[in-house]
Amino acid sequence: MASSQHVLLSPAELSYLHSSLSLTPPLRPDGRSPTQYRPLSAETGILPGTNGSARICFADGTEAIVGVKAEVEKTKRRWDDDTIFSENNHHQQQQQQQQQQQEGEEENEGRNNNDEEGGSSDWVELTVEIPGYRDDDSGTVFLGQMLSEALLADGGFVKRLRINRRFHWKLFLDILLISPPLSYPLPLLSLTTHLALLATRLPKLKSEGDEDPFFDDDWAAAPYLYARDPATKRVAERPPVTLLVMAVGGNIIFDPSKEELAVADVVLAVSVGDDAQGKGEDRMDVDGSNPGRNLKLLSIRTVDPPSRLTPPGVANAANSAYGHAQVVNTGANQKMPEARQTESEAVEGVWKPPRGGAKAVVMGALVQKVLVRGGVADEVLDALEGVDTS
Amino acid sequence: MADRRRINGPPGATMAPVFEDDAGQPEIKNGKGRDRAPNVIRKTFLKTGVTPSASGSAYLEFEGSSKSGVSGLKLSCTVHGPRSLPRSSPFSPHIVLSAHVKYAPFATKQRRGYLRDPSERDLGTHLETALRGAIIADRWPKSGVDIIISIIEGDQDRETSKSQGDETWDMMNVLSGCITVASAALADAGIDCVDTVAGGVAALVQDAGEDSTPRIVVDPIPSDHEKVLGACCVAYLPTRDEVTNLWFKGDLPASDAGLYTQLVENGIQASRNANRVLVECLGEATS
Amino acid sequence: MPLDTSTYNLALLRVDGRRWNELRRIHAQIRTQAAADGSSYLEMGHTKVMCVVTGPSEPGPRRGVAGAGGGGGGGGAGGQSKEAEVVVNIVIAGFSSVDRKRRGRGDKRTLEMQSTLSNTLAATLHTHLFPHSQINISLHVLSQDGSLLAALINAATLACVDAGIPMTDYVTACTAGSTSTYAANDEGADPLLDLNHQEEQELPGLTVATLGDSDKVVALVCESRVQISRLEGMLAVGVDGCKQVREILDQVIKAQGQKMILEGTVDKGTGLNDMDLD
Repeated sequence: MASSQHVLLSPAELSYLHSSLSLTPPLRPDGRSPTQYRPLSAETGILPGTNGSARICFADGTEAIVGVKAEVEKTKRRWDDDTIFSENNHHQQQQQQQQQQQEGEEENEGRNNNDEEGGSSDWVELTVEIPGYRDDDSGTVFLGQMLSEALLADGGFVKRLRINRRFHWKLFLDILLISPPLSYPLPLLSLTTHLALLATRLPKLKSEGDEDPFFDDDWAAAPYLYARDPATKRVAERPPVTLLVMAVGGNIIFDPSKEELAVADVVLAVSVGDDAQGKGEDRMDVDGSNPGRNLKLLSIRTVDPPSRLTPPGVANAANSAYGHAQVVNTGANQKMPEARQTESEAVEGVWKPPRGGAKAVVMGALVQKVLVRGGVADEVLDALEGVDTS
Repeated sequence: MADRRRINGPPGATMAPVFEDDAGQPEIKNGKGRDRAPNVIRKTFLKTGVTPSASGSAYLEFEGSSKSGVSGLKLSCTVHGPRSLPRSSPFSPHIVLSAHVKYAPFATKQRRGYLRDPSERDLGTHLETALRGAIIADRWPKSGVDIIISIIEGDQDRETSKSQGDETWDMMNVLSGCITVASAALADAGIDCVDTVAGGVAALVQDAGEDSTPRIVVDPIPSDHEKVLGACCVAYLPTRDEVTNLWFKGDLPASDAGLYTQLVENGIQASRNANRVLVECLGEATS
Repeated sequence: MPLDTSTYNLALLRVDGRRWNELRRIHAQIRTQAAADGSSYLEMGHTKVMCVVTGPSEPGPRRGVAGAGGGGGGGGAGGQSKEAEVVVNIVIAGFSSVDRKRRGRGDKRTLEMQSTLSNTLAATLHTHLFPHSQINISLHVLSQDGSLLAALINAATLACVDAGIPMTDYVTACTAGSTSTYAANDEGADPLLDLNHQEEQELPGLTVATLGDSDKVVALVCESRVQISRLEGMLAVGVDGCKQVREILDQVIKAQGQKMILEGTVDKGTGLNDMDLD
């Protein structure tokens, strides 16, 4: 499912859309403000057969369902684990591990060469289903990779799936778009995945240490994948969200619709996470006032703007139907007078698909706009916090 | 997805035996590390017109690491087209670009199948985005062009298997190579572009040792460093000063905006360097 | 886990406590999805499916060919036929069964269900009214516990009604089975209505779809071995089940219709009152 679906807009419509979106403030076809998301309704835990599930409907009617299922899997022993290191080394390793366990596991992780406490990215399998598109369609694959990339970016997520040294959970995320793909579904799928992960629970482990795991049958006792703070019932750390943001003219527009994407100069998908560690300190630093979240940047991808594939308009001057085309054909112009003309100059009110890339500064501004404290990413995360995921 | 049309190799991965190192060099694990300056890319070999049957082609090779057992990246790219679209396809006012990136089965430590896996398809999409910005698509209505890249050898450290997570970082290097080689092949095929586009990678890395602080290097080899904290791959058009594709991955605190900007700037720098090789190669080919 | 059918003869109760001629709980909704032309959600016991209908519309550009390729120009080849083409697309979610089993799009069972469904609906919908067009029916299976094909047919019927596509009558489907296995060769086996997953695995069964209130069978799928003598009984029970299902679906649609009329009149009423006040 590529971002460049067929948008049936004429060059004149595209030109109108482009100029109204380039105004300050931009005039969006659905009347939203540039940073406003489409209103949505969400529910979680809709499928009792899954470990976690969520459903989101956007106001424009697009709808997605995400189901999470977990299976216990044996952790593959890596062949160099104990064999390649000399006795000496091996010893050190074990000491290190013991030390680590005492120190609390998260600290040493970064520097430790043998990432016993880490996980592997194969522990998560994410599939995206878009009706009418093959699951190996490059656009569908791109969406899936983008969503899993954000999830796996900091390596913290797979650590949650570890059971013991020999076993781990394998998590299957199935993302279904229910409605026909009316707009680029990235924001919808990302938000739904976020909620489904928040609602995900894994059975409570009863076995200890490295023995074969067995679990508590009581589903009510199953802990959440993203642990809740017992006092406040709030989720301490939250899964990442991916925001779609585009630039047109001098404006930055969030959550663009299909029509808006058709005139975009540049489209970025930015994944942000909520850095929970820093939050506590920060809350204390700033006295009383809501300091917003400590966001972290996890991934950025350029989404191919479909505007490059829109049909160009023909200016009156170059249109032979109006009798203006008998311009002197001299020299280099002789071969393709119209093409040369449309390429050389931009005529007011005539749609010309953008060519080339975007300035690095513009992309930087887009990313900044996402990450700014109290900005859109903050707002989206706050809104998602309002959804009951218990 | 089983491929039943061909006779495949054994399903399980086999590992070549690895012998313990001599007592003299147990330090090889930590390696010599990077021996280039942080802002210098690897030596690059680029040649166009290597496949006579294609309308354009190019071959690119990155120098391997100084460490033994680490090979460089070897890519070959062919461009077929512009040619007319099949009769069944709808009218297109532009050239229809399709990019295929495929690892040779023997290119990496883990054997690759004949069918393209998601990571290869993903690379193809990235490459398409990078090139679509460079091509002047409306000069070729109703036609299509296929860009086919085969990765003959990926740059992976064959010695260790510890670096599992490296594969994701390797993809960035591969993508930057793909962009550069595809741009050369497009020029060789005579397809009009606004500029030559080249790929560059910059990464925030942490070296081994207790007191090392994260630093930014261009064109990183993941196995040279203890840990890669974040990396970005940039496709850049130097004369227009524009970026056609930006791919960032990592874990950066949002409060430190300078870090992200520096990474992108370094990526652009790396891309400029690669572009110099590209321009020289194209100059040689025409002279 | 083999199904223990020996207890049936004692109390004449099935594993889930139903009698032989009882349906599971059917819950259905239509107009669940605002963006689609027609949509429905249907639960038959623990089998849950969603259906979205788009169309009748102009056949879209051939998808999957150059993926992102091709620009704004629509149209293209295809859709030259005199009748609308019914395209059915079934997505079985990976999380729908107890053990996660991923089924690709090329899965043979899914393909067969798709073609059964598309043939059944093409025969019932008035496709000749929409030449050169396409009716897209996409079905999502969220949870499966037997009688999947029947649930899909019922959901598709509801969604087509919601989409306002003219059709001869309701197409309703139901499964029927027999109380003992083929191997048991039990002459006195009773027919069963609406099999769940466990029964479907062990016992012979068939899916039958009928047209409206009549006894006209529009689809019949039997994939298991069963003695010919039992077939008639199973079919009779199945057809009877279809009538029960029809009643339920009819109620759902009437309730939705009533709701819409009510909502419509409420709007009108307030509008009239406002005018009076002016």
